[in-house]
Amino acid sequence: MTTAEHLDLLDERRARHPLAVKGLSKSYGEGSTAVRVLEDLDVRVEPNEIVCIVGPSGVGKTTLLRCLAGLLAPTTGAVMFGPTTMTGPILEVGVVFQDYSRSLLPWMRTRENVSFPLQGKGMRKAARRALADQCLNAVGLPDAGRKYPWQLSGGMQQRAAIARALAYQSEVLLMDEPFASVDAQTRFDLEDLVLHLRKRLGISVVVVTHDIDEAVYLADRVVVLSGHPAHVVDVVEVPFGQDRDQIQTKAEPAFTEARARILGRIRR
Amino acid sequence: MTTLLLPPARLLLRLLERLWLVAVLAAGWWFVSADSTSVYFPALSAIWDALVSGITSGTIRTDVTYSLTNIVLGLVLATIVGTALGILIGELERLRQVLDPFLQFVRSVPQSALIPIVIGALGIGQAPKIYMIAFACVWPVLLNTIDGVRAIAPEVRDMAKAYQIPHSLRLRRMVLPAAMPQIMAGVRVSLAVGVVVMVVSEIFSATVGIGHFINTAGSVFDISAAWAGTLVVGALGYLLSLAFIVVEKAMLGWYFKSAGASSGGATTRTRGKATK
Repeated sequence: MTTAEHLDLLDERRARHPLAVKGLSKSYGEGSTAVRVLEDLDVRVEPNEIVCIVGPSGVGKTTLLRCLAGLLAPTTGAVMFGPTTMTGPILEVGVVFQDYSRSLLPWMRTRENVSFPLQGKGMRKAARRALADQCLNAVGLPDAGRKYPWQLSGGMQQRAAIARALAYQSEVLLMDEPFASVDAQTRFDLEDLVLHLRKRLGISVVVVTHDIDEAVYLADRVVVLSGHPAHVVDVVEVPFGQDRDQIQTKAEPAFTEARARILGRIRR
Repeated sequence: MTTLLLPPARLLLRLLERLWLVAVLAAGWWFVSADSTSVYFPALSAIWDALVSGITSGTIRTDVTYSLTNIVLGLVLATIVGTALGILIGELERLRQVLDPFLQFVRSVPQSALIPIVIGALGIGQAPKIYMIAFACVWPVLLNTIDGVRAIAPEVRDMAKAYQIPHSLRLRRMVLPAAMPQIMAGVRVSLAVGVVVMVVSEIFSATVGIGHFINTAGSVFDISAAWAGTLVVGALGYLLSLAFIVVEKAMLGWYFKSAGASSGGATTRTRGKATK
């Protein structure tokens, strides 16, 4: 396979299907001791959209994301990818975990980490390698393939985790508090990387975060969860389009407005 | 990490650093015991003579080869069986709960106590001794492997699930390497257990082996030779642990290096948890 073909592989990753939860509720435990975490949620992620899920700590954001990923089965309701009901993890939905330092395997070089899920799909070694290199390029890590994850900084490790999700040919990226443990500057860079990848590859992205500024900066729509059990208390449309800038966008009145509205919702 | 490319002078210094205590102790023993008239604590010079003659004209070389074969084969067998069973049991939580009382029981039984029974049942050849060593060595490897598999971070398991890694690939490339540090720690314990069982198994009804050499020497009151045999066992144990370290370094290079590199990463991790 030539490099050009792989470029196509990466570019043709346009999201075609919406990812949605319909009437989703999730309880932990059984019988009288069951704890209801999520109550009757309806959230829809359109193709090529970025949706952020915010809410107070412990509200169940991660639970929702795990349901979207097919890692947790909903108690009632359904997770739909396009017209089909998800019963487990699927190829089209890739996950970037919060704890990148553990989800990257320390005994594999970064390139192997990125290409490892492709081995499970039966892709040949040369093709895996080429695709992994390309995805590492796409996230701005052209030289990290031969290094081990623990030789990379936190921000670079998270980039590698994103590359792994891209290599898996996901149209939808699910990110759980992806930038919670990197410094502010790295965080801005990674946020811009997500915006860039969305634009370039046409993928959809779901980001769970506790950082309202981050949510407004990234999202086309911010879904606000609150209460016990958690339900959707607000959906805030963010009108900035695909091109955003850390300084200008954050200075817009609409940014401040959205931010204040979400904060008010969470505080209440 | 830097031991590979040390200049000769520093290498020599390192070697001296390690050997001086042995040399001092040996010299002390040599002079203190020089005039010994005790039957059971002969002069080191007498032991040395017995050792030299045992090696040059006696059976020590054959004995050592025999014993070494037994322990290496026994240990390899125990490692393979212990790792395979350990991964299986560690992965299947229900099976582990069922087997747990049994495993705790077997672990507590002194393995040497079973030697007469095993030899009675299986005979006095070489194979029963290898099985005996393997049987004794399998428990530390097995129990450590189970612990290692169970200690795999939930994030790693989630990753395998989310990316639909097939079972065989997951066991081979994720579970086995993740448990490897623990497995090697188990093998290290087994090595010490194995040396004891090796010697004891040759004391019971054997015709060759270093344990047999010690036993025979003792029973004809050739105490110097018995001491010489004991020293050989000690040296054997030391060489085996050196060989083990080489194997461990080769298999766990990533582990030792990442432990050195990511001491900063651990704090990042805690911080990430705290801010959630």
